[in-house]
Amino acid sequence: MTVERLADWLANTNPGFFILVAALFVPFARNVMVRAILMVGGPIVALVALINADGLSLNLSSVEVLGLELVLYRPDSLSFVFGLAFIIASALFGVYSLHRRDAVQDSTAMLYAGAAVTAVFVGDLVSLFIAWELTAIASVFQILAPRTQESTRAAMRYLVFQISSGMLLLAGICMFASATGQTQFALIAPSMAGLPVGVMDIEAPGAILILAGLGIKAAFPMVHNWLQDAYPKTTETGAVVLSAFTTKLAVYALARYFAGLEWLIWIGAIMTVFPVFFAVIENDLRKVLAYSLNNQVGFMVCAVGIGTQLAVNGAAAHAFAHIMYKALLFMSMGAVLYRTGTTKATELGGLHRTMPWTTLFCLVGAASISALPLFSGFVAKSMVMSASHADPALFIVWIMLLFASAGVLEHSGIKIPYFAFFGHDSGKRPQEAPFNMLMAMGIAAALCILIGVSPGWLYRFLPYEQVAREYLASDLWTAPHVLQQMQLLVFATLAFMLLQWRQLYPAEKPGVILDVEWLWRRGWPDMVASLARPVRAVSRWTAGQLDTAGSAVNGLARQVFAADGWVSLKVPPSVSAVASLAILGLVLAIALFS
Amino acid sequence: MSDDHNQEPVLGERGEHPLSVLLFSCMRGKMFARAFAVLLGVVGLASIGLEIWLSYKPVTDITSMPGFYALFGFLAFGGAVLSGWPLGKLLRRREDYYETRSGEAGRDR
Repeated sequence: MTVERLADWLANTNPGFFILVAALFVPFARNVMVRAILMVGGPIVALVALINADGLSLNLSSVEVLGLELVLYRPDSLSFVFGLAFIIASALFGVYSLHRRDAVQDSTAMLYAGAAVTAVFVGDLVSLFIAWELTAIASVFQILAPRTQESTRAAMRYLVFQISSGMLLLAGICMFASATGQTQFALIAPSMAGLPVGVMDIEAPGAILILAGLGIKAAFPMVHNWLQDAYPKTTETGAVVLSAFTTKLAVYALARYFAGLEWLIWIGAIMTVFPVFFAVIENDLRKVLAYSLNNQVGFMVCAVGIGTQLAVNGAAAHAFAHIMYKALLFMSMGAVLYRTGTTKATELGGLHRTMPWTTLFCLVGAASISALPLFSGFVAKSMVMSASHADPALFIVWIMLLFASAGVLEHSGIKIPYFAFFGHDSGKRPQEAPFNMLMAMGIAAALCILIGVSPGWLYRFLPYEQVAREYLASDLWTAPHVLQQMQLLVFATLAFMLLQWRQLYPAEKPGVILDVEWLWRRGWPDMVASLARPVRAVSRWTAGQLDTAGSAVNGLARQVFAADGWVSLKVPPSVSAVASLAILGLVLAIALFS
Repeated sequence: MSDDHNQEPVLGERGEHPLSVLLFSCMRGKMFARAFAVLLGVVGLASIGLEIWLSYKPVTDITSMPGFYALFGFLAFGGAVLSGWPLGKLLRRREDYYETRSGEAGRDR
């Protein structure tokens, strides 16, 4: 194969395939170096392929299966930014997990990452479904990885949600395709300013089912608990890889198919607010991060619902920044879990003494997620806030987002680093995290700062580049904007200090916090048990009555037909013989004349 | 945040990472929390002052008033945290709440 042909092949192949292929070889790599090359090299090749893509908004690779044209590679400016973030996240995961020797977990994590990258670059619904189901199946192994009863049960519950979502998606796709004859998103509806986003009408056949399927993946309210249930029960590396893909893939698909759908504005706004309250009282810091993830995805869903060019840019930029800083925060908590065996706030504190690098990186992640100016969250989230503020009809939504911004500072900006690394001294003096973990955290932290200090390089990858450039030039760094954000954060931090000083901050306590999962983990079994109780009582009583009646009949029959019973004693044999003949005659008569 | 202030600050205790001494040992001083709060207060008030000074838009609604974000941030944060008291009482259960002998609630009863 010549160099030109190789370059051509690279430029026309979905980048996710390179990660998938690398994943297949990971279990056979006994040598650490070979494994490192596969885990990091796969994403690097994918990145090279993406950068050299043979043009945007073109079907670069397709195949016909059963009369359906599956578009395997169709990059455009929306998929590019999501794909880029996914590839970087998979490379970070590759570095972060090098200290471990779990071939199954590493291989399935790479499969999961590869499937997610594949999913954002395919150009039709059927291919999207196939890639998405691969992410669902591969991700389950991350939750199974600790091999405990608790994680196994959580994995099964997670699987139920993922499979349900997949079935809804499949049913919706079948209905939509059979009604419209179309599965390629670029051909479903006219593009919005040259980009196919929000291509599906909610009234189209099957659209509601597709939205419901995506809603489960995005952890919409009431179907969000699979996230908080599963993510904190996986290994130190599992949570990192899980945090990056499933929900952000859902945000991508929502933007692609349902941007501008008003329902999403409110769903997103609710998603930003309710996790704040759960995160305040949660003791497990990885579960706090899972609630925080829910809250951050809410900002993206809300932006997708607003659907303007600035809002879609905001959703994409926020997804990119969020993947980096949430991975960083999960990595820092993963390092704590790896070294101390726990992420319970009640059992931690004072770890900065022996884990200063991890502390420092966690603080960078905390500053980023809190949208402190010069960190990535500020340049990404502010677009969502500006898009909601621009429409007076969305005033309440904007207030909800502003409240959620203060809430983010509470649970991720302060609570995570404070209770893990500062706070009361737990007396634990663990070793600093392994070098590969620190390296991955360092790269993620550098990216968070780089995006924050120089947002231009992220903005040029956004779906509507011109709108992003205008925002950068005229809005982002204006004095009122920066000062208002500083005020929000500074006075919220002062509120924290005041509450601590007055001992009004609720103390961390061990325990589980009831959420909607109560319905299927306690409510449903309790309801079945309480419904079964009267049924069991009735059946016991009926069985008792039948038993009594049976005993009576049995006793009577014994008295009548036993060897010394009434029949033997009181009826002469001749009468018995005549009676037998009469019965026989009756049976014959019935047989003949019926 | 409370117990540490009663103890003498220990700098560079045995086994402590040098970077920790460099970056975080100042935080163990008795006056650190107070000094940090004062610093935050000064920065916060300065940001409100700057907002008023630089403001070129007329006040049209409550959100365009100088200091709105400061007040909102303080109240929202305080409200979220204080909600933790009743919510904790209402929603917190013992750690094995969902666990029974058979591993999942409901099956043993």
